[in-house]
Amino acid sequence: MSTPPPISDIGQPPPPHGHDAPQSPRADFIAAVLWIVFGAAVAVASWRMDRLENQDINPYTVPGLLPGLLGVAVVFFGVLMLVRAWRAGGLANEGPAGGARGMSAGELKRFGLIVGLCLLFGVVLIGHGLPFWAAAAIYVTATIATLQYPQRKADGQRLRGLALALVIGLCAGILITLVFQEIFLVRLP
Amino acid sequence: MLNGLEYLGQAYLSFLNPTSLLYGLGGALMGILVGCMPGLSATLCIALLTTLTIKLPTNDAILILICSYVGTLYGGSRSAILLNIPGTAANAASCADGHALALRGEAGRAIGIATSGAFCGTLFGVLCLAAFTPTLAEVALSFGAFEFFWLALFGVTMSGSLVGNDPLKGWLMGCLGLFVAQIGQEGLYAYDRFTFGIHELSGGIALIPALVGAFGFAEVLTVLADPVERKLVELKDSVLPRFREVAQYWRTVLRSGAIGVLTGLLPGVGEDSGAWMSYAAAKATTKEREKFGKGSIDGLMAAETGDMSSIPGHIIPALALGIPGSAPSAVLLAAMILHGVQPGPMLMVEHPQFVYHVVAMTTLATISILIFGLFLVRPLLLVLRIRRTVLMPIIFLLATVGAYATQSRLFDVYCMLAIGIGAFFLRRKGYPMAPFVLGLVLGGLLDKSLRRGLVLSDGSILPFFTRPICAVLATVTIFTMLLYIPAFNRLVKAVVGNVGRAVRSVVPSRG
Repeated sequence: MSTPPPISDIGQPPPPHGHDAPQSPRADFIAAVLWIVFGAAVAVASWRMDRLENQDINPYTVPGLLPGLLGVAVVFFGVLMLVRAWRAGGLANEGPAGGARGMSAGELKRFGLIVGLCLLFGVVLIGHGLPFWAAAAIYVTATIATLQYPQRKADGQRLRGLALALVIGLCAGILITLVFQEIFLVRLP
Repeated sequence: MLNGLEYLGQAYLSFLNPTSLLYGLGGALMGILVGCMPGLSATLCIALLTTLTIKLPTNDAILILICSYVGTLYGGSRSAILLNIPGTAANAASCADGHALALRGEAGRAIGIATSGAFCGTLFGVLCLAAFTPTLAEVALSFGAFEFFWLALFGVTMSGSLVGNDPLKGWLMGCLGLFVAQIGQEGLYAYDRFTFGIHELSGGIALIPALVGAFGFAEVLTVLADPVERKLVELKDSVLPRFREVAQYWRTVLRSGAIGVLTGLLPGVGEDSGAWMSYAAAKATTKEREKFGKGSIDGLMAAETGDMSSIPGHIIPALALGIPGSAPSAVLLAAMILHGVQPGPMLMVEHPQFVYHVVAMTTLATISILIFGLFLVRPLLLVLRIRRTVLMPIIFLLATVGAYATQSRLFDVYCMLAIGIGAFFLRRKGYPMAPFVLGLVLGGLLDKSLRRGLVLSDGSILPFFTRPICAVLATVTIFTMLLYIPAFNRLVKAVVGNVGRAVRSVVPSRG
């Protein structure tokens, strides 16, 4: 549980989050290179795209026209970003570079765990014969139990935490299945 | 004119039945609950409810979606006030003064002001929606491929310029969205573009799974990756709406309402712009500037009225032009198409009564938030006490169902997962998502308009610049982008400054 913000913070905007967070020039430099490569690949693929000459179409309607222009635009903006990052010291060996901004090893581990659980549900558990309610219950139980484990362990409530996670998982799975499938007639995976 | 009033009367009457009222209240309640939870956006709420309501009749489904749209933005002020975390991006401007009031023990008063500002703002927007949509749609009937090309480009450019802190990153995201929209069979010759032999990609990347990924799954990852829980400020005083303060600050309410609707009319500019611009205008004109950021009633009223009045403002171009004003209105537009209503200039010809139905739906949404603001503030706040580790996995389940339900394809779930992980990293690197969404929605229109325009002009690009509306849109679009170049920006500021000084020297001051 965090403490309330200090009185000097009153009236200040909330802490940087998402697109409000400041970025390092080095990260922008690397991103700019990736954008240029991506834009160039799109432009080349569009140029090499079939112009359907055998169908005798109007040459101004070739399928690769807009994607090609978009590829050029991405390269242009990428170059602008590259120049800006370079002028801001993007080539210096300081500050965070690739990966997520400022993620510590602990945060990366937590992030990997969360993504792993989500992929387990979205790719493995659903769509391969297991009923949706069961897949949902397994995922929710596993996620809650895993994320709350350090706190539960510190409080000496490991079994209680697991039982609670199981109840929430089962309730969520059954309730979502009932509401979507039975009441609103929506097909579930 | 008389036809319009008749349609409007019929529309109001058609919603005066228990089922519609229940759907409206349910949609608004769902929206407020989602809005209360930090991070969950109106876009996600509408996308999820689109799949839930897909089997309902058109008017009932759109009613639920509009009520949830209004409810989400209204609900977002709760977490802004009590947690200092905006429930949606549009409520960020409410954080400063709302949370400062809460820390002074006036959280209930802040919520009451937010309710009255939201009610007045939405009502003002509804009046503009009823008045301007038919007129704009009539004007848009004269638009051709050239105008629509610029409208689409204008929307993506403006969104890139105004959303987020870095226009360059906004434009790159806009280009990415436009590119993703090109994947799959193109509209003129059914030629597969960028499908790499994957036959599921022939149908393109569906909008709902992409939106659920970008706004839902990415948010789940963002929230769960952050281990810090925020502390809730307790509610001690009355939360009833303060209409006495509305009367006291009537200038702020009217000004913010007008600013909200005007920013809403700009394609691609989100609700947060309406809130911030109203807040800035209130700060510039108020007599109590020193209170701004420290619990100013004027500031909170301006922010809430501005963001809520921009909702009907965003619906106006979505209905009249088929160009959404914001990310949530883009989903609303997609939902209308799913239900067989094609927004755009032909809407007033094919379904003239539908525009008035939307006016009636938005009015019902406004009344719903007032009812919940009067009677259900404290019980609804219980949702803020649910732990994120419990809530977010359930939100992910709903996101998965939302991605799957429209076309019953597992491929859409995989798209949602891929886009969500990509969006998580892009957001942390400072790339805004709204231009991506606008690009995704407008990519098809841009492609068709460009190619049709070139066929009509036999390859000449001159009509893209010489037709009157095109000339205006092209000038604004190019000017907006050029402003990013520091030398051009300095030149513009110098010219504006000189003109201002010249005008002041000619016009004698009243003092």
